[in-house]
Amino acid sequence: MNFPQIILYWISQYRWLLLAGVIGVVLLLLPTPANLSPEGHRLLVIVVITLILVVTEPIPLPATALFIIIAMVYSAIDTPNNIASAFMNDAVFFIMGSLMLAVAIVKQGWDARIALGIISITGNRTRRIAFGFTTISALLSSFIGEHTVAALMLPIGMTLVRYTSQDGENAQGLAAILLFSIAYGALVGSIGTPSGGGRNAIMMNYLAGHGAETISYARWMLYVYPLVLILIPLVSHLLWRSFTPEHHYLDSGIRRLKVQVTKQGPISGREVGGLIIFALVFLGWIFLSSRFGLGSIALTGVVLYIITGLVKWEDINRNTHWGVILLFGAAIALGHYMRSTGAALWLAEGLVKFLMQGSEPVRVLSDIVIVGMTTIMANALSSSATVAVLGPITLNLGSDLLHQGLITAIASAFGFFTAVAAPACAIIYSSGMVGARDFLKAGWKVGLLCIVLLIIYANTYWRLWL
Amino acid sequence: MRFLIAIASKKYSEPTLRVGLDVAKAFQACVTIACVSPKPSSFAQDQIRLAQESMERWDFEQPAINVLEWAYNYLKEGQFIAEEALEKGFQKRLLSKRAGSRGSIVLPGQFCDRIELILRSGRIIESLRNEVRQNEYDVTIIGASQKRRMAHDLIQYIDSSILVVKQIDFSRPYRVLLAVDDSRGTLKAVKYGIQIAKAYGLKVDVLTVSKRQRFGAGYQGASDRACRYLENARVKYNRLMLVGDPVTVIDESAGDNHIIVMGDSSQNPIKKFFLGSKPQEVLETSVCPVLIVK
Repeated sequence: MNFPQIILYWISQYRWLLLAGVIGVVLLLLPTPANLSPEGHRLLVIVVITLILVVTEPIPLPATALFIIIAMVYSAIDTPNNIASAFMNDAVFFIMGSLMLAVAIVKQGWDARIALGIISITGNRTRRIAFGFTTISALLSSFIGEHTVAALMLPIGMTLVRYTSQDGENAQGLAAILLFSIAYGALVGSIGTPSGGGRNAIMMNYLAGHGAETISYARWMLYVYPLVLILIPLVSHLLWRSFTPEHHYLDSGIRRLKVQVTKQGPISGREVGGLIIFALVFLGWIFLSSRFGLGSIALTGVVLYIITGLVKWEDINRNTHWGVILLFGAAIALGHYMRSTGAALWLAEGLVKFLMQGSEPVRVLSDIVIVGMTTIMANALSSSATVAVLGPITLNLGSDLLHQGLITAIASAFGFFTAVAAPACAIIYSSGMVGARDFLKAGWKVGLLCIVLLIIYANTYWRLWL
Repeated sequence: MRFLIAIASKKYSEPTLRVGLDVAKAFQACVTIACVSPKPSSFAQDQIRLAQESMERWDFEQPAINVLEWAYNYLKEGQFIAEEALEKGFQKRLLSKRAGSRGSIVLPGQFCDRIELILRSGRIIESLRNEVRQNEYDVTIIGASQKRRMAHDLIQYIDSSILVVKQIDFSRPYRVLLAVDDSRGTLKAVKYGIQIAKAYGLKVDVLTVSKRQRFGAGYQGASDRACRYLENARVKYNRLMLVGDPVTVIDESAGDNHIIVMGDSSQNPIKKFFLGSKPQEVLETSVCPVLIVK
């Protein structure tokens, strides 16, 4: 390969980086709009560049995180010390803690027992098992996060597929229905509690920063959990309508699951210990999170798992993507400065002006805008990064902070449309048993259902009963 | 010689593997079979790794390892692997012990010294480019992609000849369509075409296309030279001198029952990058296998 070819190759690999740079320079050279501070203008340029870099990933995500930090320092958004302080807060602790807890929980080997528990209730019929998968995935992901549930449940689903259809080739419908029940169930459940995902913790943090009334763990559940319970059967039904399983009874797969549990033997002291620690974390989230924060409690659980020897630090270290944590920290710092520089307010006012065209803001319309924007962005970015960047804007789109904050956090979980939209989707896709087209086939139906239901739910249940 | 065969799945890569091994056998070339597992989004990387560890406890392998195991079984059934290596079976643990992003199983072959099965992870073009650069392959064999950009990137960035296997029907008789002109790559393309034709007993159509009614000395000479090589190699051929747009004429002449063999364009890389080239267009539009010789 000669020199021009090397240059062309570099350009083709880094074209999005170059484009982001060019767009950044052009935006920076534009005059600062009225009602926007110079700091806000510069910060919005950083946000645009960051969005391009995160979606297209021409450079590793940790490098994008570092870019955000240095760009904020060099463009004098604030002093270096203040920027560093904005970088770390309880939401980042929570994201870090929940990623580590996921490792600890998956290492405990509860998967086989969970599987047998589901089967003992549902029996051997595929439809009932799929409903059981959706339900358990949803209930578990409310407390341990969607990615942990997907990692735990994936081998169970794959075992049922592999041992029901001997060659595994003639069971694409069965694979799709079981694996999507896991992923979509986990996504639906993750909206139910603050510990369901990092995005929820970020939103709680923003709500506190905006001076909204404090929302406790239990109150969040009171607001959102009924929606989870409504969605579970509907999502399961839609999945059943989207895919046709080749087998309606899964006896061979169930026999194999039983063998797997028998191999594990009776419940060991380690397993009990693992459960107790998680129960303590859960209780801590419910009763102590308003005082100590979700993140500190999650990290306490991690420390307990390590000192009791239930998980090794090496395992946690190997399976924790520190670069992503760095990026979430940087995104939260961006969100913080979007508020303090007035950039978020300026964007929100512009959006309201554009949509309402001089008429009085209508809450349902602003809900549609928030849910639509958040869902689109969450399917291109990650849900937590979406809330980190979009949260400060959506909180300025009306006067009911809690209402806007909650629907933003909930809609950010609707990553049903692509294989890369949410970790749970990426996990089932990585199994090779479902294809990218399957996500579109089922995703738009489930996504549309969730969006419509959320808007109706938020404007009825929250307004009439809470 | 060294051949690199890129496979992606059991469902779609069987023709690629079959053609790749047959052609490699014709050239007595060492073969590397590569499966590139796509790199997941960084947001989900650690969670996917965690899920894979969880799957391994249940004796599930990641899909790319399953694909390589299928390729191993194909090699075994087709007696491509030397018998003494069969006892060890498919040693998947060697694929997990990755040096950088590359894990490999090396096997002694029946028709060549070594057959290697490798696992790479990352973007497909980047992975193949690195593999070709590090190990100096002569030919890269890959299945057709629906992505238009793929043909461009293969021609532009892979430093070896490229055989794209598409729409092949093993029950039909094929011919070799040797597209010759005055470009630098033509002579090598003729040699490759002859070797393939001889190995499979295929007849050859030597095609020269001119945009103008009159064929220049360069084109005429290239066609004469190709025919001389074919005569010396005792390969039956049919000489065609046609007028028209080269890409259209090549596609129409090839139909779906030829293997097109042509040299790479001698245009400078910058021009090729922005304006494309004839080989790239043929690669995109043809409905039969294409070998672009570099």
